[in-house]
Amino acid sequence: MKLAVQKMPGRRPFPPQESAFTARFWQALGEGELLATRCRECARLTFPPKPLCPHCWCREVEWAPLSGRGVIYSHTTVHAAPALFAQEAPYRLCIVDLDEGLRLAARLVDAGSGVGIGARVEFVVLRYEDGPLFAARPLDAR
Amino acid sequence: MSRNVAIVGAAAIPCGRHQKAPGDRVQVLEHEVLAGVVLDAVRDAGVSKDDVDALFFTHPRPYTRQLYFGTFLASYLRLPCDGVLVEVVADGMTGGLAFDQAAETVRSGRAEVALALGINLETAVSSSEHMDRSMRATGDVEFHAPFGFIPISWYAMDAMRYLYEFNAKREDLAMVAVKNRRHASLNPLAQYRKSVTLEEVLAQRMIVEPLGLFEVPPRSDGAACVVVASEEAARSLGRPYVLLRGRGFHHEGVHQVSDVPGDMISFVSVQRAGKAAFEEARIGAADVDLAEIYAPCTIVEVLVSEALGLAKRGQGAKAAAAGETSLGGRIPICTSGGLLARGHPPFVTPLYSFVEIAEQLRHRAGARQVGNARLGLATCELGNHNAALIHVFEARP
Repeated sequence: MKLAVQKMPGRRPFPPQESAFTARFWQALGEGELLATRCRECARLTFPPKPLCPHCWCREVEWAPLSGRGVIYSHTTVHAAPALFAQEAPYRLCIVDLDEGLRLAARLVDAGSGVGIGARVEFVVLRYEDGPLFAARPLDAR
Repeated sequence: MSRNVAIVGAAAIPCGRHQKAPGDRVQVLEHEVLAGVVLDAVRDAGVSKDDVDALFFTHPRPYTRQLYFGTFLASYLRLPCDGVLVEVVADGMTGGLAFDQAAETVRSGRAEVALALGINLETAVSSSEHMDRSMRATGDVEFHAPFGFIPISWYAMDAMRYLYEFNAKREDLAMVAVKNRRHASLNPLAQYRKSVTLEEVLAQRMIVEPLGLFEVPPRSDGAACVVVASEEAARSLGRPYVLLRGRGFHHEGVHQVSDVPGDMISFVSVQRAGKAAFEEARIGAADVDLAEIYAPCTIVEVLVSEALGLAKRGQGAKAAAAGETSLGGRIPICTSGGLLARGHPPFVTPLYSFVEIAEQLRHRAGARQVGNARLGLATCELGNHNAALIHVFEARP
């Protein structure tokens, strides 16, 4: 299932670095796919993706696409922002429990003040000029 | 060798804004300030320069110009030692671990007297500029920092979850700030000594929702030195001292947030470290007379008080609002004013907790003295309380 894409103005204020390993994640994200890694031994999912399983220390992992749907566990709005993010403040952040049983932290976008803990969300791609980031938005925001 | 360890002396400068702007002609130099604090602490302890065998420095801020600060200060003070000289780096727990390592070194017999000391100057750097750096510390630099997660944003999400899960009152949470300001008004080392009302706390501008300006840590400079000695040495000094009775540590193997869904606000690190510290001290939470809790935000104090068993789960904010954690209450918490009001010079903040414990358990805390204080504890943490370090102390008059 492809994630919706939102065009964002300008460049990412603090772009993530890519490694030879995580390049796959960021490339897939740019194409609308949110990936985790899954251990071939213990089958547990891991996010952010890693070239090893932190649970059983196995090196055999595979890429696993995520549904990108889940529930807000908690959230906040940052009013006093780092200098790098001054242009974007205030901005909302959230922790989401995905349906696959994985917890992610990300931006929360397109959410009215009533959207809070327990709300169903879906992940979207934020397409900046220099590359993608991801965010959660209310499932009914489309 | 294993033996009892005590705090025999302590000193600190008042928390506040001491650092000068980069362009100012006259600067405040870290080594000058800390050297003075060392002399104060050693005098307070009644030990001499030659007694000091080991030095545990908190690593200075990246803004400090003098590098290799620890060895430089030993030279500044002409202080040779046979034990060890270390700069400790452990995130928010840095000052706590400097003390912890000093205590272990004395316990092992490698030193009779050790200093845990440090200075943290940073207030000439604006908060927004400072956060460009701190956001790289409290999260995954590739998967959290790009979204703008700052250190206190995690605590804010703890607060949101707490209000939701326990139907707690926003006002009760804010009362922690009111209480800490009141305590700080009685502490000469405190940065904010003016009392505030609940209405004033709630009227502050939002910083990270639901927390406003008075519920998040101030920017602070500070310097402190704690003198640790074997109990044998402590007894020979003929003064009241503070015995270390128990210690607990736990790191949950998580940096900021676990990708395995779980209860983020039960503070497992505190539960485990607290249990270990209480067991070693052979006491229970109910025996404690006062607690210095490392709480950068109101919510953290509440959650730690619950995880330690000083308040019932979900009732910590209500207990604070009811005065149970105030001076004169059932279990006074943060009699110093805590991070919110005493001040928060991050790397040395935990040292200020030991300074307060040393004052209280030697019955020298003046107007904020907890009557008949015998057992006290100090906590510190890092991340979103992903680790906790807890020490239990006993007064030896």
